[in-house]
Amino acid sequence: MIDPTYAIGLGAILFTIGLWGAFTNKNAIIVLMCAELILNAVNINFIAAAAQYGDVTGWVYAVIAIAIAAAEVAIGLAIFLSLYSQRETINLDEVRLLKN
Amino acid sequence: MMMSAIDYALLIPIIPIVAFPVILFIGQMFNGMPSWRKAWKEGGTIAVVVLGVVLGLSLSLISGYIGAVSGWDAGNANGDVSAHSATESNDDAVSANVGEYDSWINFHITDGDNLISESFGFGIYLDHASVMLLFVASFLCLMIGIFSLGYMNTDEINLDRNHRFYAEFLLFSAGMFGMVLADDFLWLFIFWEIMGLCSYLLIGFYYDKPSAAYAAKKAFLTTRVGDVFLFIGLLMMWNLFNSLEFATVWSDAAIAQVVADGNQGQLHLALGMMFIGAVGKSAQFPLHVWLPDAMEGPTPVSALIHAATMVNAGLYLVVRMIPFFANDQLAGDLSTLALTIAWIGGFTAVFAALIAFVQKDIKKVLAYSTMSQLAYIFTGLGAAAWLLNNGHTTAGLFAFGASLFHLFNHAMAKGMLFMASGSVIHEMHHAHHKINHSHGDHDDGHHEEDHFDAQDMTNMGGLAGKMPITATAMAVGSMSIIGIPLIGGFWSKEGIIASTWKAALTDGGFLLFGPALLLLIGAGMTGFYMSRMWFMTFAGKANTPVADEVVEDTPFIPIPLVILTFMTLGAIVLASMHFIGWASEGFGHLSLDIVSGLVHELKHAFLPGGDDSVSSILFLVTMLTIFLSMIVGPFTAMALYGGRLDAYKAKPWLQWLIRLSHKVNSRSHFDNTAWAESSLAEALDKRLYIDDFYDNICEKWIVVPFANICAWFDRRVIDGAVKGIEYGSQETSTYIRSLTTGSARDYIMMAVLGIFAIFLLIWGVA
Repeated sequence: MIDPTYAIGLGAILFTIGLWGAFTNKNAIIVLMCAELILNAVNINFIAAAAQYGDVTGWVYAVIAIAIAAAEVAIGLAIFLSLYSQRETINLDEVRLLKN
Repeated sequence: MMMSAIDYALLIPIIPIVAFPVILFIGQMFNGMPSWRKAWKEGGTIAVVVLGVVLGLSLSLISGYIGAVSGWDAGNANGDVSAHSATESNDDAVSANVGEYDSWINFHITDGDNLISESFGFGIYLDHASVMLLFVASFLCLMIGIFSLGYMNTDEINLDRNHRFYAEFLLFSAGMFGMVLADDFLWLFIFWEIMGLCSYLLIGFYYDKPSAAYAAKKAFLTTRVGDVFLFIGLLMMWNLFNSLEFATVWSDAAIAQVVADGNQGQLHLALGMMFIGAVGKSAQFPLHVWLPDAMEGPTPVSALIHAATMVNAGLYLVVRMIPFFANDQLAGDLSTLALTIAWIGGFTAVFAALIAFVQKDIKKVLAYSTMSQLAYIFTGLGAAAWLLNNGHTTAGLFAFGASLFHLFNHAMAKGMLFMASGSVIHEMHHAHHKINHSHGDHDDGHHEEDHFDAQDMTNMGGLAGKMPITATAMAVGSMSIIGIPLIGGFWSKEGIIASTWKAALTDGGFLLFGPALLLLIGAGMTGFYMSRMWFMTFAGKANTPVADEVVEDTPFIPIPLVILTFMTLGAIVLASMHFIGWASEGFGHLSLDIVSGLVHELKHAFLPGGDDSVSSILFLVTMLTIFLSMIVGPFTAMALYGGRLDAYKAKPWLQWLIRLSHKVNSRSHFDNTAWAESSLAEALDKRLYIDDFYDNICEKWIVVPFANICAWFDRRVIDGAVKGIEYGSQETSTYIRSLTTGSARDYIMMAVLGIFAIFLLIWGVA
């Protein structure tokens, strides 16, 4: 069995990459993908912990998170589509509807 | 346990205090209803009934007190005034002690476990002074209440607001009764302030008239100046004695403590501060300016508050200070204050009389006369205080008694004079109305109010034939004030003047020559201005058509006038009862033996204290006083203002006076115009510019700087706070708004930072 430390380390690396991508990218789809990365980092942590303690709760949470992430992607893409149809862009720097 | 009068004494102030809101609320409910106006006199009936009950209670209390004191042996004839041994007596209430003291409610001040004082209990203190003033107050309140039924309720200006008058009237009388009965300087002060409030409310009764509103403010603020000093004096006294109760602060032990601590100077200062309060309340120079303006109130108010009762409160306060002067342990320490009291009195006596010379308003003459007469009493009390403080007990007690007697006589006579003047004003007013209406002006009864002054004596003249009762009352009252031998004020005024001279002639008393001389001059001046008022109003020919139409037909008004006329004449009887001696507590009994009593009092008037080393000088002084007040003053007034009535015939007892005045007037050829146009007359007419001076001082040094401070405070602090809140929140919101960039990445950043911060916090706490 793989040492959970590696799994948690992988989660941390994935999380950092996701966060970094979400900060630095202007493209909404890439930011959404980065958010998925973050979620998956969390899932890895869940699974690692579940394996470590022999408890299925972590697996169950991971499955729920995957399901919710799928729904979230669907909603996110739908928003981007409608945004693109109105503004002709999905560049986040050009869409500042909440400003001030 | 037998209930005696003193057990009910607490009801004397309480009944009117309870009736005050009752009349106010009932009046508010029933205003305008015919039966409320007719049968209830808009509350007047209630007021008179209440005052009647109070008079009954007072009389039973007083008779109980006199009965108890009569049993007191005259062996204590030279007793010290300070020897009021107060007893707490509930069962056998009226015992043979000079000071009666009873306490109902007690509050204790403690410091942890130690009792500091229990002096906030309300109790009743009875001695000669309080008994006499209680009678004066309750009797005159009833008389003036009856007078008001006629005066207030027949004038349509007062319609639907008389209930306010009667309610405030009762509150005032409660204040007066409470002050007289209080056994404690603090309670005295509390009731004193109640009276001050009622004085303000009643002067401003016609508050829609600017001059009345101004007068009310002036009276309130001027007396407030004195009251602040009074309060400081009370605090100093509290500091010295840890108590303000008469029985405690007058006790030998407490004063011995003060002397042992070397605090006589502080006591002297405290009494001086309290005296300033008395000066304000009794309208003495320099706090006299409010009294003449206070005549803006309805005449019953002037009669009650500003002549007969409230202005006596200041005198009563000085009377309550006398035991300090009389205490052996303080002998000589309080002389300066005694001299100050006498000097202020002497100066005011002449000063006020001088201004009264030129006043045209009948009530203003009486107001200045009140100031002048109160000043006599102050001088008498000052002389008494000086004599007692310097060991001349017998003469001092005599002066004290004479002052109290003058207080009594003056209150009775001045109350009556004011009511008589009110009668004149009221009838003049009505006559004026009648004439106006007969000319066909039915639309508005008051449109010509401003052109005709019903109080101006130059509009009157020759009223003696038309108003016999009023003219008689006015004549008797004036004689009492002037001091025509054997009538009322004669006894007391001679007593005061002789006592002051006696004090001046005593070793070390040379500083009292000033007040003594001023009083002597003042006696002649009193003779002049009182006679001037009477002759201007009642003798000669009618000066205006209005004065020709006057009839004396208002109900209720003559009743108190008649009663008081006989009361004033009855002061002969009082004098024959050794009244001065009784009031000065030198004699324990009142005996009614007219001839020997009169002889006794006459002897006393010439020889206060029974000392005959200076008797020839005092005899001369008395004769001089009688000559000045009876001959010089009145005959000058007759020469200037006397005259025969034209059509009417006066009553026989007035006819000789009118004839005499006519004779004097036609024989003498005084040219009055040069005097009347002189700058002195103008200065007197302007009240010697003192009022203007105060107005200017107030404006320049008090009102404007204070207004500036207020304006600064308003602009900087209050407005500043409001504007600061507004500006601050705007700035903050602008700053916070700049954080909402609208960029999704910034929000993510903030969320992450927030989570990071939460982690940091948890980590820190753990």
